[in-house]
Amino acid sequence: MDKSLSALTAFHITGERLAGELDDVGRLDLRPALFGAYRDLSKLRHDFPLVLVNGDAGGGFVRSLSGVVDEILSDIAPHGIAGERLRQHVLKLEQEARSLAAGGEARSLGEIWDDAGRRLTAKTDAAALPQLEESLAQAREGLRFDGETVACDGELPVKFVTHAWTLDKRQRTQRLRDKLDDLTLTLSNILHTDVDNVEEAQGAEKLKRSMGKALEDEFDFDAMSRLLRTAPTGETLPEARRRRLNSVLTVFKSQRFLPPAENSRKRGRRKEPYGFVFDSCEEVLEAIQKRRPEMAKLVKAVAIAELEVANRYDESKHDQFFSHFSHHHLHVEDFALFPPYLVRLHGDSAVAAERTALWQVLSSGLPIKVLVQYDDVLGGDMLGPERLTANIKGPQLAAMALGLGNVFVVQTSSAYLFRLRDSIATGLASDGPALFSLFSGAPPGNAAASNNSPNVAPYLKAAAATESRAFPGYVHDPEAGGDWASRFHLETNSQPDADWPMRDFHYQDAGLQRNATETAFTFIDFVACDRRYANRFARVPQSSWHDGMIPVKEFLDLDAESAASKVPYIWMIDERDALCRAIVEDSLVSAARQCRDMWHSLQELAGINNSHAQALLAGEREIWQKEKEQELEALRGQLEAAAAAPAAPSAAPVAETPGAAAVETPSAAPAEVPDEAVEAGPVEEPYIETPRCTTCNECTELNDRMFAYNDEMQAYILDPDAGSYRQMVEAAEACQVAIIHPGKPRNSTETGLSDLEARAADFN
Amino acid sequence: MTMDAAAPHCLLGMFDEDYTLDDYKGAEPRWCVGCGDSAILAAVQRLCRDEQLAPEKTVFVSGIGCSSRFPHYMHTYGFHGLHGRALPVAEGIKLQRPDLHVFVITGDGDCCSIGTAHWIHAIRYNMDMTVLVLDNGIYGLTKNQASPTSPLGLKSNTTPQGTVLEPINPISVTLGIRNASFVAQAVDWIPELVHDIVDAAFQHKGLSFVRVLQRCPEYLDGRYDAWVKDPGKMLLLNHENGIQTSPALASVYKNHEIHDPADRNRAREIASTSDPIPVGVLYRNQSIPCYENPRGPDRLYTPDVVKGVLEKELDRFTIQAVGGGGD
Repeated sequence: MDKSLSALTAFHITGERLAGELDDVGRLDLRPALFGAYRDLSKLRHDFPLVLVNGDAGGGFVRSLSGVVDEILSDIAPHGIAGERLRQHVLKLEQEARSLAAGGEARSLGEIWDDAGRRLTAKTDAAALPQLEESLAQAREGLRFDGETVACDGELPVKFVTHAWTLDKRQRTQRLRDKLDDLTLTLSNILHTDVDNVEEAQGAEKLKRSMGKALEDEFDFDAMSRLLRTAPTGETLPEARRRRLNSVLTVFKSQRFLPPAENSRKRGRRKEPYGFVFDSCEEVLEAIQKRRPEMAKLVKAVAIAELEVANRYDESKHDQFFSHFSHHHLHVEDFALFPPYLVRLHGDSAVAAERTALWQVLSSGLPIKVLVQYDDVLGGDMLGPERLTANIKGPQLAAMALGLGNVFVVQTSSAYLFRLRDSIATGLASDGPALFSLFSGAPPGNAAASNNSPNVAPYLKAAAATESRAFPGYVHDPEAGGDWASRFHLETNSQPDADWPMRDFHYQDAGLQRNATETAFTFIDFVACDRRYANRFARVPQSSWHDGMIPVKEFLDLDAESAASKVPYIWMIDERDALCRAIVEDSLVSAARQCRDMWHSLQELAGINNSHAQALLAGEREIWQKEKEQELEALRGQLEAAAAAPAAPSAAPVAETPGAAAVETPSAAPAEVPDEAVEAGPVEEPYIETPRCTTCNECTELNDRMFAYNDEMQAYILDPDAGSYRQMVEAAEACQVAIIHPGKPRNSTETGLSDLEARAADFN
Repeated sequence: MTMDAAAPHCLLGMFDEDYTLDDYKGAEPRWCVGCGDSAILAAVQRLCRDEQLAPEKTVFVSGIGCSSRFPHYMHTYGFHGLHGRALPVAEGIKLQRPDLHVFVITGDGDCCSIGTAHWIHAIRYNMDMTVLVLDNGIYGLTKNQASPTSPLGLKSNTTPQGTVLEPINPISVTLGIRNASFVAQAVDWIPELVHDIVDAAFQHKGLSFVRVLQRCPEYLDGRYDAWVKDPGKMLLLNHENGIQTSPALASVYKNHEIHDPADRNRAREIASTSDPIPVGVLYRNQSIPCYENPRGPDRLYTPDVVKGVLEKELDRFTIQAVGGGGD
């Protein structure tokens, strides 16, 4: 090994910088080279900022600013010069709005839109101002909804999921409220109807009061009351039923699972409604435990009310059942009646502290939605008690939740959150538990002091985590089907078929010539964003570049023997966008291998490069090849035998042999007679095409012992001997849809048979 | 189990009865022998059994005419009302008791003559009910008078020289009303399709309008003989969103068209043809709101609340005694 490579290899294996020119990457403030195009995100049209849409404005619960602008432009901007001007103005406004939204302050889209308009107007020349103002006014008119704008920061996961959860909860709450309202109304009507029937309602005094003072001298209320008492009334409501209905209504009124209706006048007197958002799994389990008796009461009341409304409540059957029904009999599916719960955990430490309760929640089958937000995927320094490989903790929780089978799992980073909005909504709407494992990309606690990647925007860092497979995105929907192919999807990742996504990379060389290449974005590129690991990289000056240096992706594909003489590097850029190579310490390479193995496991679940399928395919291919080889051998043998044999008489005409001629004799002809011909001919037995019967009573009126209706109220021949052949023929003639076929006479002694048979011929 | 079926409800389902066809048979039908109404009655009874509709939660409303005797023959609740007024009665029932399954049985005279205004507005309201127009093209109950759907030139007691007006086409008219949400046509001589179409109509959320062409052997005998005897003169409309003909039936009735019930313009074209006679679901639109839903109150009006509101309103007009030591 030459001397220059040995210095690089020494750093790669030990982390020691023997050569003075191997610079510390952290000190130089280097970034992965593929980040070069993303210095200022506010200039870049991308998903962010997002708008959490208020109410149901159509188009989903969350929209991207650029999507909103595109939609407005497609509505208002005509083709041609005027439309192009309008488009340019609105796109400038979008850029201003994006800069304002990046400020981090929670503001509505309307406010930011107006503010951006003012800033844009202030920057514009007086001459161009009228046209700009006209464009902005048109665009503002096209903006038909509002909502909070959110940037890609540390608060995004919580705001996003909570907003989606709130909308889902509102729908479920409304469904429950509608159900209780309908039942309350019907039960009240039942109770009220009875009031009119009681004796008191028919009394003279009651009648007098209901008529009012002005007319009290005009009527004889005693006579009226006597008359009413003689009239038949409905049955009086039994006392037991009245008590039951009242107790159901009391449960409906006193339940605390719904907030009071907006127009309720008794808001002050009610107990506070239950909350459904928690910051701890233990708390949510405790709350559910405490609420279960009340839940059981409500479930029971709803069931009783439904039976009462359907008039199916049978005291002899149901009283005993309901008297024993308690919270012990609550089933998981009964929870679907109630609003879902949301638990918000932040960071790996919160997950560690709640591990037992968290697993209890996820394996409970209850509709509890757990959001776990990670700000740090890599964890502490690898020189600590744990190695780096053990510290890639973020994706572990979701991977373990996959093993539970019935948990809806979404894992992704903030950068991909908008693209997975439908999956988030589906997870929230599902009737079982859901885990949303989200990486924010923001510094822990959103504090600049804790930022390990000060020169990388949270959006970029989040995207890099998913892109590099450090925090891969996926969706597992247990209700989507019975197999992994239906339930598990990896499509949210770039190039899911590959180990690492490959990206085009353009740069200028020392001679200012443009070059293009393709480079992989690996786990090590992601680690290079984190200054805690900067000392695990070393910049190699161009003068020290060596043929033994190879890109990390290629290095990872080598076996141990080949890798021994190589040193892996990644492309990085400094603050002036100057390109350089940074070699990588071996511990990071081991971590990258572990990351790639985890990615392979996910790929297999998604049916990509599945090892079982590949083994099966290889086995089948081997068998197929053997068979084909044997066939080839056999053919070769035949050819060789034919070549060795004397020339046979040329193509003896097989058809001329006696045997072959026999095949064509007329004796084979009957087989070619069409089936119809076989089936043709007179019908012997009478029958009815029952499915076509129109129940018109013609035949049954003629002879109801001969013809009858089946369970479908359609006619069939009950007994052909229960009447004469004449009746059978007359029935066939009378049948409105001509579906009775009389067949042949069964009694040859009947008179007039020849005439009847002639009449029957039309129907046989 | 879903939200609509809580645990006890599901458990209690075990006690539910199993209804048979006999559970829906009411009085003995008094229709003429050979009347097409019998086929429709049998198909509707089969539907009730297949859907296991509780007889006490089902109501048949009719007006006047041969077909309007239908409720007598069902062992459910029924309302045999005034001529042409079946629909408003049914609307009242649905408003007050949305939990009931409401069927309206009306005839060509009842619906398309004296009841026309109610028909048009019932389609607009689009309340959730199944309307069957049993169209025999004649007033049979009153012994042979021309109806709005009688064929041109028909001689009857009221038109001894023959009718001079073209018949009205009930399904074309219905398709012309903006809120129409389900329009279908059946013929009594293919009972399997009567059942399937009425089933599709029952499943539809909204007003389902089904015209059933029906033979009257007494006063309009032979009107449909050509179509009854020649299956090729029938046009069966098939679609996954409409009805799908069984293989057995398809082997007899070979004239088919794949018609998407969402295509209203094609539905209008099909409706306007009388030969071949189209049978199937012509139009269906699930997105049209039902009248009973948009007009739902913004608060819960229980009888007690209604009483309170009324008393408060009436108190505004109470004449208070002025002066004079009232108590």
